[in-house]
Amino acid sequence: METERLFGYSDTVNELLARYGVKFGIYKNNVFKEQLFPFDMIPRVIEKQEFAFLEKGLKQRVLALNEFIKDIYGDKKIVRDGIVPEEFIYAGSGYLAQCEGVMPPKGIYSHISGIDLVQGKDKQWYILEDNLRIPSGASYPMIARELCRRSTPITFEKNAIEDNRNYAKLLRRTMDHVNTGGHTVILSPGRYNAAYFEHSYLAEKTGAHLVTGSELVVENDHLYFIDYSGKKEPVGAVYRRISDEYLDPMNFNEESVIGIPHIYDIYRKGNVALLNAPGNGVADDKGIYYFVPKMIQYYLGEEAVLQNAPTYLPYYKEDMDYVLEHFDSLVLKDVAEAGGYGIVFGNKLTREEKEHFLALLKEQPRRFIAQEVIDFLDIDIYENGEVTPRKADLRAFVLMADEPMVWKSGLTRFSRNPDSFIVNSSQGGGFKDTWVMAE
Amino acid sequence: MAIISAEHSDQLYWLGRYSERVYTTLKIFEDHFDSMIDLKTEEYEDFCRKQDIPNIYTSKDDFSRRYCFDEENPNSIYSNLMRAYDNAIVLREEIGSETLAYIQLAVYAMNRAKTSDAPLIQLQRVRDNIVAFWGIVDDSIDSESIRSIIKFGKRLERIDLYSRMRMESAEIRREMNRFNFRINRTGLRYNKRKLAHLNYLVEVNALDYETIIRELETLFELEEDK
Repeated sequence: METERLFGYSDTVNELLARYGVKFGIYKNNVFKEQLFPFDMIPRVIEKQEFAFLEKGLKQRVLALNEFIKDIYGDKKIVRDGIVPEEFIYAGSGYLAQCEGVMPPKGIYSHISGIDLVQGKDKQWYILEDNLRIPSGASYPMIARELCRRSTPITFEKNAIEDNRNYAKLLRRTMDHVNTGGHTVILSPGRYNAAYFEHSYLAEKTGAHLVTGSELVVENDHLYFIDYSGKKEPVGAVYRRISDEYLDPMNFNEESVIGIPHIYDIYRKGNVALLNAPGNGVADDKGIYYFVPKMIQYYLGEEAVLQNAPTYLPYYKEDMDYVLEHFDSLVLKDVAEAGGYGIVFGNKLTREEKEHFLALLKEQPRRFIAQEVIDFLDIDIYENGEVTPRKADLRAFVLMADEPMVWKSGLTRFSRNPDSFIVNSSQGGGFKDTWVMAE
Repeated sequence: MAIISAEHSDQLYWLGRYSERVYTTLKIFEDHFDSMIDLKTEEYEDFCRKQDIPNIYTSKDDFSRRYCFDEENPNSIYSNLMRAYDNAIVLREEIGSETLAYIQLAVYAMNRAKTSDAPLIQLQRVRDNIVAFWGIVDDSIDSESIRSIIKFGKRLERIDLYSRMRMESAEIRREMNRFNFRINRTGLRYNKRKLAHLNYLVEVNALDYETIIRELETLFELEEDK
């Protein structure tokens, strides 16, 4: 594999990323700032066979999760059969009572899923997290690949790498598949959202219209985009990049000023597709994660191809006992948090902090999961003229149209701090391209 | 034909106006700065008066610095460039990443100029990027209405600025011809009576600059709205 050739272009590619405004937004002390997302030239490389294995497992997982959401808002067989305790459904913040009995167009709930994985030192892949609400990140490796190819075409001539710039086509296919008739739009909260670059870039690349809530209106049970001459154009699919609670002030959070009044009413009638479907959060709760291998068995009758990181639910007495006994070797995660927040490493707490945390854990066992700390396989980054190892994860994207499609790439995020496992961009992480080999 | 929302048409229009404001005020500033080198220290006062901006400056050096780079001053060239950026950043889908990049590059050049010990040289790069931006607007935006709204904003701003600076009638007539060519390609609704009046105003020998500016400002006030 020839990756050394890339090193010389690190500054050039990062300058080009700056030129094209490849940034993410962050609030610090209530002030919005745009930050460049540092890109490392050394790609994560996944061999063809290895990716075929991941692809199989990812499709299986997303199909099962989709069945789970359908079941939860429908018959609830999995609860009745005692596979998933009802406390994990109804107590979670992702469950929305308004979604009961609502079937989205073509029965698809999770159109775009971002599944986070890590690779252990034993080369085994583990699923860390399922993101089924509004996962972001695909745009970064897309544009980075474009610029790397421009910087050093010979690298791509000499290595047979799957072209990842087809993400926009996959996304367009996904949106068109469920479109109920009319334009396709990407609904953004606006430019002060952390992922605004992605919203605008995906709109440009898919040919969808980027809109905010004020540009859409529900009339006569249909959704319309109003153009500047006042003409109303029908909208059939909304790839919404705003959270469930802000989507429709008439059905969810009544204080939302970025949503579209009554959009959920017409969605319920099947007159518009919403990607991803509202209510998906019920399946990507960190507490539900524990049950995904059981779901795969339950809905598909198959063994899970991809393994979860070894996880314990303090909700169960035997798991609580284990967690208390092995506290120092575990990582504990607050199920209500995301973005790298709410994560506690047992061995990093002071005695006082530990006592405080254990009291909280005993009081609210449903609120936390505990996981074995996976000994990540470090991957190299190129920094200050040297190659040095860092922790990294992989966000793989699965899109569901008439069939599940796994994007042959992914967002590899790495920690810039040598002592940290936290890779999130909001906490200073950088990103890499992910090369899936074609031969 | 592209469909454009009222919000985005407004942003396209203001992108055109602010990009032109940055370009032309920089050009005028450079001329004034050159005059001030020869100790005509009152030049900036005249500049502020003509631009109809408050003279908050204490000296020619203070003016040179703050008029160009003061982030807190809404009339500074820096602030105008940031307004251009604010409008451009939400229009990636309409204008494309390649076009948007030139506004981004102008912002980087402005930030470099701000900390440079030779700011005028660096400010040239800001102008270069604005010129490149206009070039790529013509070259790469397929939709005539999108292209025309940006260029219409640019033309309107230029007549406004030239009028404020009391430029010669031939200059303003030339810009008015370009303005007339562009306005009907935008699809925007405007007051036809005011446009006819503007065309009359620029043809007379002694230009009534104040009325031209006022008519431009109220061009979108439709008769039926009153």
